[in-house]
Amino acid sequence: MVYSKQMIIRQIRRKPLLAIGPIALLLVLYLFLFRGSDSSSSTSASSKKTKYSYEKKGRGWFSKNKDSIILQDLPQNHISHYDLNALTTSANALENKEQVLILTPMSKFLPQYWENLNKLTYDHSLIELGFIIPRSTEGDQVLKQLESAIKKQLSSLKETEKWKKITILRQDSDSLKSQLEKDRHALSVQKERRSMMALARNSLVFTTISPYTSWCLWLDADIVESSPTLLQDMIAHDKAVLSANVYQRWTDENNKPAIRPYDFNNWVESDEGLKLASQLKDDEIVVEGYAEMATYRPLMAHFYDANADANTEMALDGVGGGALLVKADVHRDGAMFPSFPFYHLIETEGFAKMAKRLGYEVFGLPNYLVYHYNE
Amino acid sequence: MARTVEVTPYEYPNDKPSYKKSEFQQLLKILNTYKTNIAVGLITIITLLSTIRLILFRPTTYYTPDFSRLPNVQYFDLDHYTGSPDGWQRDERVLFCVPLRDAAAHLPMFFGHMRNVTYPHNLIDLAFLVSDSSDDTMGSLEAHLKAIQSDPDVSMRFGEIEIYEKDFGQVIGQGFSDRHGFAAQGPRRKLMARARNWLWSVAIKPYHSFVYWRDADVETVPPTILEDLMHHDKDVIVPNVWRPLPDWLGNQQPYDLNSWQESDGGLQLAEGLDEDACIVEGYVEYQTWRPHLAYLRDPYGDPEVEMDLDGIGGVSILTKARVFRTGSHFPAFSFEKHAETEAFGKLSKRMGYSVVGLPHYVIWHIYEPSSDDLKHMEWMALEEVKQKEEAKIRKVYDKVWGEAFDDVQIAWKKERDDFLKNTDMTALRKIEVDWSDADGFDIDANKKDEHIADFNP
Repeated sequence: MVYSKQMIIRQIRRKPLLAIGPIALLLVLYLFLFRGSDSSSSTSASSKKTKYSYEKKGRGWFSKNKDSIILQDLPQNHISHYDLNALTTSANALENKEQVLILTPMSKFLPQYWENLNKLTYDHSLIELGFIIPRSTEGDQVLKQLESAIKKQLSSLKETEKWKKITILRQDSDSLKSQLEKDRHALSVQKERRSMMALARNSLVFTTISPYTSWCLWLDADIVESSPTLLQDMIAHDKAVLSANVYQRWTDENNKPAIRPYDFNNWVESDEGLKLASQLKDDEIVVEGYAEMATYRPLMAHFYDANADANTEMALDGVGGGALLVKADVHRDGAMFPSFPFYHLIETEGFAKMAKRLGYEVFGLPNYLVYHYNE
Repeated sequence: MARTVEVTPYEYPNDKPSYKKSEFQQLLKILNTYKTNIAVGLITIITLLSTIRLILFRPTTYYTPDFSRLPNVQYFDLDHYTGSPDGWQRDERVLFCVPLRDAAAHLPMFFGHMRNVTYPHNLIDLAFLVSDSSDDTMGSLEAHLKAIQSDPDVSMRFGEIEIYEKDFGQVIGQGFSDRHGFAAQGPRRKLMARARNWLWSVAIKPYHSFVYWRDADVETVPPTILEDLMHHDKDVIVPNVWRPLPDWLGNQQPYDLNSWQESDGGLQLAEGLDEDACIVEGYVEYQTWRPHLAYLRDPYGDPEVEMDLDGIGGVSILTKARVFRTGSHFPAFSFEKHAETEAFGKLSKRMGYSVVGLPHYVIWHIYEPSSDDLKHMEWMALEEVKQKEEAKIRKVYDKVWGEAFDDVQIAWKKERDDFLKNTDMTALRKIEVDWSDADGFDIDANKKDEHIADFNP
């Protein structure tokens, strides 16, 4: 026993590298298996003095935060003062220099959307843009396209023509894998898909709405054609929540260009709809456009009359998100897109219900069209 | 195995008996011969392990655009701001929301607490909403903020500070009983909820990881409050809120009864009410039999103990910013028959977030007397004045008495014996004493109030 101990010591003395080998192996094994990505997990002696350690922890080499710099150029010792009583939302928004926030959850980038957005005649220096992009590799693609579009545009535009501000967010929750047209509309995935969508919309609006924002326009990424005066036209109605009618251009059987209704989420509640809802369990939802669920709700999409006045208004109970103008106050009061069944409604339809619960009125413009992309 | 003799410069076979080579030595020898192979093997293992680790543990990185040259374009990955239990070590920013109304009197105390906050000040963004104030809340607030932001100690200064002004038209007075009367609760709660929503929705930025709500009128609060709540790693978490009371009311009392767990009684009550009704806790009109966080306090209990809640109070709430970002808010309408902070708890729970309270971790709200208390205090004040008055009169009376009359009591005590010493009363009157009851005449010397009557003519 004693002898072998001597032998070990002697061996180590003679060939120290050999002894280091196994120790290093053990150390490496331990480090790679049991330590997280934190570079230092400090259980320092200073913790005796204070309850918590205040040593900084890194994020590791690979997940470094490359987001925009957070605080810059803050005036007067970082104290800023906003009088929200002075904020107006009025029919003649341009004269009052009211700011508009255009919000788009973007799961695909359509050049036509971007062109159409840039054609809007409302003063661009009063418009802030907000985009939220899904956390997926498709999202990467969208982001790259959006980035190059923004860079190209900003380099060519004059200072006065530029948007006031653009905020691009990456969603924190994982998005659903498949965004194909067919899967997207299957009833079984509707609830989950729209719930995710609601979370994305909420994350977008509440982080980008500023103390100066008077109006929010929800414009879907696949709205490719609208009147250039979209904002002025809709603002002129001075409604808390106002939805445009979403149609789609297509070529009919005779190869002639035609239009057809696209968004069926703008509706008026019906007795059948209410009855249907009352029979559902708490966590079930009613959605439009499925034969399994006949609500017989009057849909705004079917009220379009090409010859009638484009300014006709109709009161609604559910809205879609295609082109939806909302007074910023409605969102500030707390109206959001429920990610759970709220009165058996979800996302934009649930939003309409919540706005109504908060005492606002919801309207639609059946004869005022915006066009959806045709896949 | 052949018997070999080892020859080394240190050992001679003649000095010691020859021995069998130990197994260990053989192992070493093998190691020695294959050392290059072992080294190569080690390196391979290390590379393999690191690759495996990268694949297993490393989150997939997504593309990050570069807008550094465009000042009005910003990009944020919301996944970087989901909030960790040790946020103060990871540079996570906290949005500190304080709704203020006629609060000028409380501000010095509030900023006293703010100075002591141990969470790194530069990571705290302050947001104030000043609404419907008739006193100089705004002026006082600005003065305090300027003072702290120009402190020579840079670590005292806070991050971004935003003050918002918005009046909602309060119909209800701000006296304790005005605010806390039963009838006032519904509409008052809905207004409060709107105010809170206006505050956070304009103040919250993509880069906030936490939102902390705090009332200005908190009297005692640990400086580590943010860390204490944050390290629990819950989506929504509240401490227990009590208030100190004057001695005549029993020293202390639970203050915030809005933190509770839902009960069958509560659900049953909610079912019977109409859509716009608003249940408020702590009023006899609505008996819900819910377990309240406040009443579960044990002064000697473990402050780390958690309790699941459904409704919460608004005195001090720490939430992950994600809760608000994804749409939870203070409903200004009746949500599941509740409004404001109580409904915020319910809504957050509905959205799948954890809502937790700490029954044994207490912060102290200031004591504001109710109108009954005020009445009692007035009576006590009057009584005190009356007693003082009486004492004064007595003093004068005593003085007058002392001057008008001579007290001969002490002199009489001395003289009495002289007067009586030669007097034998037995000659005058025959006194017979009946001692038959003496056994029953039992006095306990230990008892104070029992003693033989003092006979002193």
